[in-house]
Amino acid sequence: MCFRRAPTASLRLNSPPHMPTIVTAERLSKTFRVKVRDPGLKGALAALLRPRYRDVHAVRDVTFRIEPGEIVAFLGPNGAGKTTTLKMLTGLLYPTTGRVEVAGFVPWTGGRDFKRRIALVLGNRQQLVWDLPPEETFLLNRAIYDIAEPAYRERLVELVDLLELRDVLDKPVRQLSLGERMKCELAAALLHHPPLLFLDEPTLGLDVTAQEAIRRFLSQYRERHGATVLLTSHYMQDVTALASRVLIINRGRLLYDGALDALVTRMARIKRIELVLGPGDGVTAEALATFGTVKSFHFPNAVLEVRREEAAATSARLLAALPVADLSIEDPPIEDVIRQAFAHGVGQDDA
Amino acid sequence: MSRLVRWEWLRRYGALLRVAWLQDLQYRASIVLWLLWGVTEPAVALGIWWAIAADGPVQGYARADFARYFFALMLVNQLTIAWDSWYLDSWIREGELNFRLARPIHPAHEAVAENIAYKARTAGMILVVWLIVAAAWPAVRLPFGAGQWALAAAAVLLAAAMRFFISFATGLLAFWTTRATAIMELHAGISLFLSGRLAPLALLPPAVARVAGFFWFPYMLAFPVDLLTGAVHGAAVVQGFVGQAVWLAVWVGAYRLTWTRGLRRYGAVGG
Repeated sequence: MCFRRAPTASLRLNSPPHMPTIVTAERLSKTFRVKVRDPGLKGALAALLRPRYRDVHAVRDVTFRIEPGEIVAFLGPNGAGKTTTLKMLTGLLYPTTGRVEVAGFVPWTGGRDFKRRIALVLGNRQQLVWDLPPEETFLLNRAIYDIAEPAYRERLVELVDLLELRDVLDKPVRQLSLGERMKCELAAALLHHPPLLFLDEPTLGLDVTAQEAIRRFLSQYRERHGATVLLTSHYMQDVTALASRVLIINRGRLLYDGALDALVTRMARIKRIELVLGPGDGVTAEALATFGTVKSFHFPNAVLEVRREEAAATSARLLAALPVADLSIEDPPIEDVIRQAFAHGVGQDDA
Repeated sequence: MSRLVRWEWLRRYGALLRVAWLQDLQYRASIVLWLLWGVTEPAVALGIWWAIAADGPVQGYARADFARYFFALMLVNQLTIAWDSWYLDSWIREGELNFRLARPIHPAHEAVAENIAYKARTAGMILVVWLIVAAAWPAVRLPFGAGQWALAAAAVLLAAAMRFFISFATGLLAFWTTRATAIMELHAGISLFLSGRLAPLALLPPAVARVAGFFWFPYMLAFPVDLLTGAVHGAAVVQGFVGQAVWLAVWVGAYRLTWTRGLRRYGAVGG
């Protein structure tokens, strides 16, 4: 019996001979048509008789390229278009307009050859067989991805070691903790050694220890195998720990594409000066306020915010004027920067 | 197809079947419940016809004929029943189709393996029960004939394929509606009368039997059951196989249409 996937054509695009770009998205847009329904019985009847539709622009005109070996994070609030973009890159959704090429394939028509080259891990959906130990899902994937026995053994040993899965391999999945399950999900998704990983919220709902374990694993795995990783996350720590590059997306638009520290430099017009005051009194909040905005003051600790370009001069004045035991100049927390980016955008003239 | 490719598919099906069986073993109690459900309906129908036939045959069906018919029905029903609508409906609604679409294997193969695993187990159990009953009660023994059994096996296979595609294609309606399983329930309700689950089709009012003949229902159950009990002969056998082949082709077409269109819609509106 033969089941044909639709559409069936497998289209391989020509790619340059050395180090081709692994992901290309060009002017990618996705518009959903959503049925609008007023509440109540009347609304239900009206929707049945005369359905009204509204266009939702989930992704608008997004363009980016990803080179092999990069770890790139999609950042954005709920409903920003992160998951929609990820689904278009993996071939689950097709774009309304624009062009996508992933690992040399158009995802939507890439068929089996394309699917062997990617792994998709969805933080809120699992592929592990719920009632059976995780090793059963691993064995299933060995057959589905045609992994030869020696390669399977070798990879399993490596993944079990890196993810510390020894004690959970023979427990039914339903008895595992959320963190253990996510580790097993990753193992199941990586057994076929895909060069490209798509991770949608891989640390969603996990406690801090489990989040760290996942992050540690991902960076180790990438170092060893040079895989390209695209992940979406709500957690800034995921991004700061893993990603060399961020794509900030909000209301379907790409606001920023680049290194995280460059974003901070561009966005943060202020610097934080953190002070530890020395013994002696006479330092008041009013006195501090003459140097900059006082964010907090609990003797002997104080935090001031000053304009970026004045940070050095203000620090010098503070050291001269006050009994300072310790002083450090910091960028504002990355969360603040991102929040600011979502609220006001990332203008080119903001630097 | 090269030998290497075939070997890969054997390995894939082996792995899918293994998972399906291991999963079923986790739910032994529910298997027994489903089996009881599968046995109860024909048993009740047999009880009613047994009582009706107390004073002599009903349109040629004596008590022993009813017993044979409903035992055969029990077995054929277990061998051909397909629950795929319910699986697909939940895969689509709960977003579990996503990872299945991202794997390099069509999700239908998982469904087929699931069917084989389920049928091997429940039908195997019914067969054992039947053999035990037949040892004590000659009425339910089947006339033996290797050729006839081979034909019946072929008809059962075609019926199983048809019911699989009916269930799968209907389940795919979940891409458009939240009522896909309700449609399947309705189909099951109609098939209760038109496929021979409640009574041999020969006993239906002629008008109803004629209506049934325009649809696929008789080919789902009644035809393979009659073939197994030796109630059809000659041209009717050929006619039955032709009917099965035609309706199978129709439902494969329906599956292809719902799958292609459904995926396109899924791709357009998301899940």
